[in-house]
Amino acid sequence: MNEAIKMQLSAFVDGELPENEKELLLRRLSQDAGLRQQVAEYLMVGRAMRGEKQIGGVNELRDRVANELGEKPMQDGHVDIAASKNRLLRPLSGIAIAATVALVGILGLQQVTDVDTPEVTPPDAIVDTVDFPTQPEADDILRQYRRIHDAHASDSINARLAAFELRQESTDQDEEPPLAPTDETDQPEVADSDTE
Amino acid sequence: MIKAGPHSTVTLLLALVGNCLFLAPVMAADRGPHDWLDRMSSAVQTTDYQGTVIRISDGRAEALKIVHSVSDGVIREKVIAQEGNGLEIIRNGNEVHCILPARKSVLVEEWNDQSTLFSTLPSSNMRFGNEYDVKIVAKERVAGRETVELAIKPHDVYRYEHRVWLDVDTGFPLQTQLIDDDGSALEQVKFADISLGRKIKASALKPSYSTENFKWYNQPRRRVTPVVDSVWQSTDLPIGFVLISAQQEVMPGTDEAVTHILYSDGLANVSVFIAAHANKKVSERSRVGASNSYSTVIDSYRITAVGEVPAITVEQVASSMRLR
Repeated sequence: MNEAIKMQLSAFVDGELPENEKELLLRRLSQDAGLRQQVAEYLMVGRAMRGEKQIGGVNELRDRVANELGEKPMQDGHVDIAASKNRLLRPLSGIAIAATVALVGILGLQQVTDVDTPEVTPPDAIVDTVDFPTQPEADDILRQYRRIHDAHASDSINARLAAFELRQESTDQDEEPPLAPTDETDQPEVADSDTE
Repeated sequence: MIKAGPHSTVTLLLALVGNCLFLAPVMAADRGPHDWLDRMSSAVQTTDYQGTVIRISDGRAEALKIVHSVSDGVIREKVIAQEGNGLEIIRNGNEVHCILPARKSVLVEEWNDQSTLFSTLPSSNMRFGNEYDVKIVAKERVAGRETVELAIKPHDVYRYEHRVWLDVDTGFPLQTQLIDDDGSALEQVKFADISLGRKIKASALKPSYSTENFKWYNQPRRRVTPVVDSVWQSTDLPIGFVLISAQQEVMPGTDEAVTHILYSDGLANVSVFIAAHANKKVSERSRVGASNSYSTVIDSYRITAVGEVPAITVEQVASSMRLR
């Protein structure tokens, strides 16, 4: 994650990001599984720093985030956010807002209507009630289920195209291709003569 | 013996032609709705065609150019998206290449030999039961051709209504709609123009792009094991739905196997996925176009039902799954 995107996230959670940039950020979050994962990790770090219950692997995550932000490794449960001069660390708890809004954006962009998705709620409520890190994974599972269903249950053009779109989406979200490139794959040979 | 003179021959021919012209519409009118469905099933499997299809789903409309040919039992197809990223699908038998020119990539998939791109209804040997009424409701023109409009209406709220417009001459479906219970079209596929039964040149089925320097991706290998007698069953299936198949499938990218059970009423299909790890979250309710899903936890298993059916159906099916 580069400095620019970190600054954008920070400004976003502070409510200082212009609308046009906000839209771009949400779009980027919708397409970048790694970035969403980073947001989810930040959320867990925020929880830990506010003295909430410990989360598995959080020490490693805090060190990792601190390294990325150019800070010294944080001490267990004793990070004074207010004292930090680093603008990027200050609003970590507020990243919950960004993450929630991003989720709404992501779902909207994917045209998935999740009936249970709450509207944007105050940050405290979000941190306590929204189990955020699971959401991208949940969507991936559902996407795979839909693909399997389409492969078994429907030959319609809509289902076929939807399956391709889902596969395209999942390919887009992976930084590394999920499947080994097969340059040697034979291309279809179609004779020049007419089919009849 | 009366010899037929030239005038008699002309008269006879005129009479024959007149009879044919008169009989054709009578024959079309005499066909029952199920006869039309049989004609459609045959037409989509055997007819060569090319044209422009408008696909409307989730309030989005997109145009697709389609070329379809059947030769020696091998289906060849080409589909080109007219908007967006220029997606192009080339099918040669059961091998399908999805070309993404913007990403310089080709996704390779394998399809069932007999599946066709343009088929939204079951074949004649998979007739749906008494849960639907089939009626001819109108005659209209679609893509400049005369059609009969069939309405396939469900008797209850557990499935969608289908509308299909069949070409009078060939039985080919020129338009299909999936109708919500409020009468609105959830999904629609409609030919704006079409050429039916004409010879398709091989060049028309070739990719529009040179894919020489593209990255090629094979479909993830599916690891599927049929289950003869599943320990899971629905205790409250909507009437008309029956078990079609049950199998264990390892999810791509993981070692986790899920049980996949498919129910169908012959027209609508519902898949139920049963995962041992109930802590893996799946959105409880979601909808994409006409497809609904519902997820819940039963006996520490995560149960998720998916299908092109109303939300109430996936919820009832998922909630009623029990271990025997």
